[in-house]
Amino acid sequence: MASLVRVSSVCHRGVKPLFFRSAYLIRPLAAHKKDQDHSSVFTAQIHASPSHYAVGSKSASQHWTAERALSLGLLSLGPLAYFYPGTVMDYSLAAALTLHAHWGLGQVMTDYVKGDSKIKMSRAGLFLLSSVTFAGLCYFNYHDVGICKAVALLWSK
Amino acid sequence: MALILRTATRQGLCSARTHFGVVYRLAVPMGTTAKDEMTKYWAKNAQLNRPLSPHISIYRWSVPMMMSITHRGTGIALSGGVSAFALSALLLPGSFPDYLDLLHGLAFGPALITASKFALSFPLAYHAFNGIRHLTWDAGKGFKVSQIHGSGYAVIALSLLTSVGLTAL
Repeated sequence: MASLVRVSSVCHRGVKPLFFRSAYLIRPLAAHKKDQDHSSVFTAQIHASPSHYAVGSKSASQHWTAERALSLGLLSLGPLAYFYPGTVMDYSLAAALTLHAHWGLGQVMTDYVKGDSKIKMSRAGLFLLSSVTFAGLCYFNYHDVGICKAVALLWSK
Repeated sequence: MALILRTATRQGLCSARTHFGVVYRLAVPMGTTAKDEMTKYWAKNAQLNRPLSPHISIYRWSVPMMMSITHRGTGIALSGGVSAFALSALLLPGSFPDYLDLLHGLAFGPALITASKFALSFPLAYHAFNGIRHLTWDAGKGFKVSQIHGSGYAVIALSLLTSVGLTAL
């Protein structure tokens, strides 16, 4: 393994070490990892940034961050709704609750549902459920007493 | 033969990219993306129809394990409740106060009322506090086993106290 390291540092001098090079050609990614394991400080293994490889978009990691941000937001909405009930709070709660539930149930689905068609069907079902839930909550906020008042009334029992 | 050609080309690439004695290794992506590999993994395994190894039926349950599935369970229950509420709002006639009066008319004993309030508060409190625990993990903190157990017990204690407090409101 040490020889692999030295090979790379020597490469720019025009040496043609045939045998070791093939490993890089066949699985460059695997070779990178092996060299890192040996903490080769002298190697010329400068990792290209991920965007140089055929990697997908950043949407998955952005989704993750958005999920955490929403969770934090929803946590603060709880006590805020107690102290500042009202229409704005009602609609904010409706939106935050529905979206948090949608994303959460989406994660549950990702964990347990396997198979292309099953995934598609459950995604569609989830989307329908979330849409109906949001519509229902908005309808309740508009035509009925609203979420904050409803909780207050229910608890006054 | 191809190997020699490829090596020569790579050497050419190599020398062209020498800066300050350091070689920028531009690896031609001959591998697959993570997404491709995941798809191939599932396609192959679904086709092979392999049985699933026993896991939850044989592994010894621990408090962290139980708390984790409870977090998921309370989440599903809470969202189910919210969706049921929303659906009722859309489908059932009348308004919310009407249904409350109906409920009042049923004359439940105080014990049942307190129990119901607790049954509603506890899942919410648990999910919220364990959610905070999850968020601290997401921030990279509290992964030592002793901390996992400690924070777990704290969540249970806080949930119980908060539920009692909410029920008494």
